[in-house]
Amino acid sequence: MVVKVLFFGVLKDLTGLAEDTAEVPAGTSISDLFATYSRRFETLEAARPSILFARNQEFVSPNAILAERDEVAFLPPVSGGA
Amino acid sequence: MTGDEPKFLAEIRCDGHFFALTRSPIDSQALARELLRGEDGAVVVFEGVVRNNTKGRPTRFLEYECYESMALRQMEQIGMEIAQAHALGRISIVHRLGRLEIGEASVSVVVTAPHRQAAFQAALEGINRLKREVPIWKKEHFEDGAVWVEGEWDETLRAGQKTGR
Repeated sequence: MVVKVLFFGVLKDLTGLAEDTAEVPAGTSISDLFATYSRRFETLEAARPSILFARNQEFVSPNAILAERDEVAFLPPVSGGA
Repeated sequence: MTGDEPKFLAEIRCDGHFFALTRSPIDSQALARELLRGEDGAVVVFEGVVRNNTKGRPTRFLEYECYESMALRQMEQIGMEIAQAHALGRISIVHRLGRLEIGEASVSVVVTAPHRQAAFQAALEGINRLKREVPIWKKEHFEDGAVWVEGEWDETLRAGQKTGR
């Protein structure tokens, strides 16, 4: 199945990706998906403890299982508000 | 500015409260006039402003980006929770995106209420929660390079237990 993946802030710079489409097997968790990217982009792994995950614009646990056409976002620590 | 540009990139109005993202300067006074009701006796306007240095290192300018759809939803959720928790009139939360110069407001929280204490508390809570719960990021540009500033998440969001929906 296919999911949309969004990268923000420093994660966008580390991967060179703002948005990607990933083909993943059924039963894939957000954590699994992140691991496939950290194999491609080694510097991502160091960011893992500080980031939060969202699915379809809501915060979710990294154990959440993906569904077809989900929108996943990897969110580094926020710094809005001056 | 041509005057034809939309004032807000995205906005939500709910029960008189207002939440928006914009690429244009924020007019907090106009927001306050719009929010104020006859029974309100207090208006608190908080603006977060771009300062000219970070720990003594001169800042040239800032750049803000966000996860637009999620940021707006989070701002609405925070605002509605605050409106329910305090004796308010109304609240607005607006964040600006793109390049901002020193002295410009990146964020505005405006609260109206019958009395001052609720207005002050709500405004403080609004900016404090925004800084830890809304997916917005700032890149700080110095003379010799730029860095993404990493603040911190509200850790209770981590397991998805504070989504409130």
